[in-house]
Amino acid sequence: MEFTLLWAALSGAVGLYGALWWMGRRDTSLCVRDLWEIAITAAVVGLAVGRVVAMVRGGVNPFSHPGDLILVRAGVDTAAASIAALATAGWLTRSDPFEQLDRLTPAAILGVAGWHAGCLFRDACLGTPSSLPWAWSQPGSTITRHPVELYAAVLLAIGAWALFRLRLRYPSPGLVSGLGLALAGLARLLTEPLRPSLFAGPVWWYGAAITAGVALAGWSLYRTGSGDTESAPPPLQ
Amino acid sequence: MRVRILLLVALLAAACSSAGEIGDVAPLPETSADALQELLVGSEQPVVLNVWASWCIPCRSEAPLLRVAHDSFGDQVRFVGLNVRDDQDEARAFLNEFDLAGFDHYFDPSGAVQGSLGSGGVPLTLFYAPGGTLVELHFGVIDERALALNIDEILRVP
Repeated sequence: MEFTLLWAALSGAVGLYGALWWMGRRDTSLCVRDLWEIAITAAVVGLAVGRVVAMVRGGVNPFSHPGDLILVRAGVDTAAASIAALATAGWLTRSDPFEQLDRLTPAAILGVAGWHAGCLFRDACLGTPSSLPWAWSQPGSTITRHPVELYAAVLLAIGAWALFRLRLRYPSPGLVSGLGLALAGLARLLTEPLRPSLFAGPVWWYGAAITAGVALAGWSLYRTGSGDTESAPPPLQ
Repeated sequence: MRVRILLLVALLAAACSSAGEIGDVAPLPETSADALQELLVGSEQPVVLNVWASWCIPCRSEAPLLRVAHDSFGDQVRFVGLNVRDDQDEARAFLNEFDLAGFDHYFDPSGAVQGSLGSGGVPLTLFYAPGGTLVELHFGVIDERALALNIDEILRVP
């Protein structure tokens, strides 16, 4: 039972690596191994920081209870984890951040989709009650519910595919990253009302991610329009 | 030098931990399997029963979530704690540390009451509909989504 979270994480990792491998076959400029290492490092750092912040917010002293750090199921602060993961990815790609992040973004989004789809291993797909034909219920229950995590997974998977198609056209640096950030925030914002929650969800954070992503994409287009970029290679075949 | 400063900071932070203080938490009343069953069957509200111990590290992790759940749903759902195979003072210090004294806790030093629930492990969280019908039994650490979903489930059982 306690290891179901690992299966969900594994499905995220499979989504990420599968996407990188497939993209690497279509786009020879990708260095799959480097991107994989950047993504996994960012994810691990984000997870650790998010867990520590969740412990502190819950009143658990991480210094006196360091063992609690591994109890990821007890909570990870989404906002802190996302900021730490993005900062780590930015640091690791500092030599050429937008080019690298544009390459990584579609696969990262598919990895997040895989994580959401991993709810099937955790028995944690269900959200608020629904009478739609595809709604289902918990074992032993008659209350059918939205498979909300699968909605998020499908939305993100379609978005990842669209971003990959866009990336093949070699758009201005930062456009794919910006749209990916906005997509990740939008997928959570749209599905959050369908998740039962103990807290008012961090909707402000999803809104901030969308705003930042759209701003980055807009800035990227503006740079291209004003000729403030180096000449891009020809579109990939 | 840098390592020493880090170690000093870690020790100071650990020393600031409030663990071990009982505060004004009352001793936990001892219960029996029959008494607990009577409580569950007689409850007009749905019940969340959390089985915990102060020595159980995962219990420490889910304690803040249970407090939040109690703050949010305490008027619609009855929260009950069953402290098992523990020491009274340690249990009271745990409740004081996590500010969990707001809901009913019972003491089961031998673990016999827990045995009647069908599992010997901790933590364990059981969700009951009004009248004591078991809706869900969750083994191990419970996360926020599962806790919220199962509370929603017992609130909607007709």
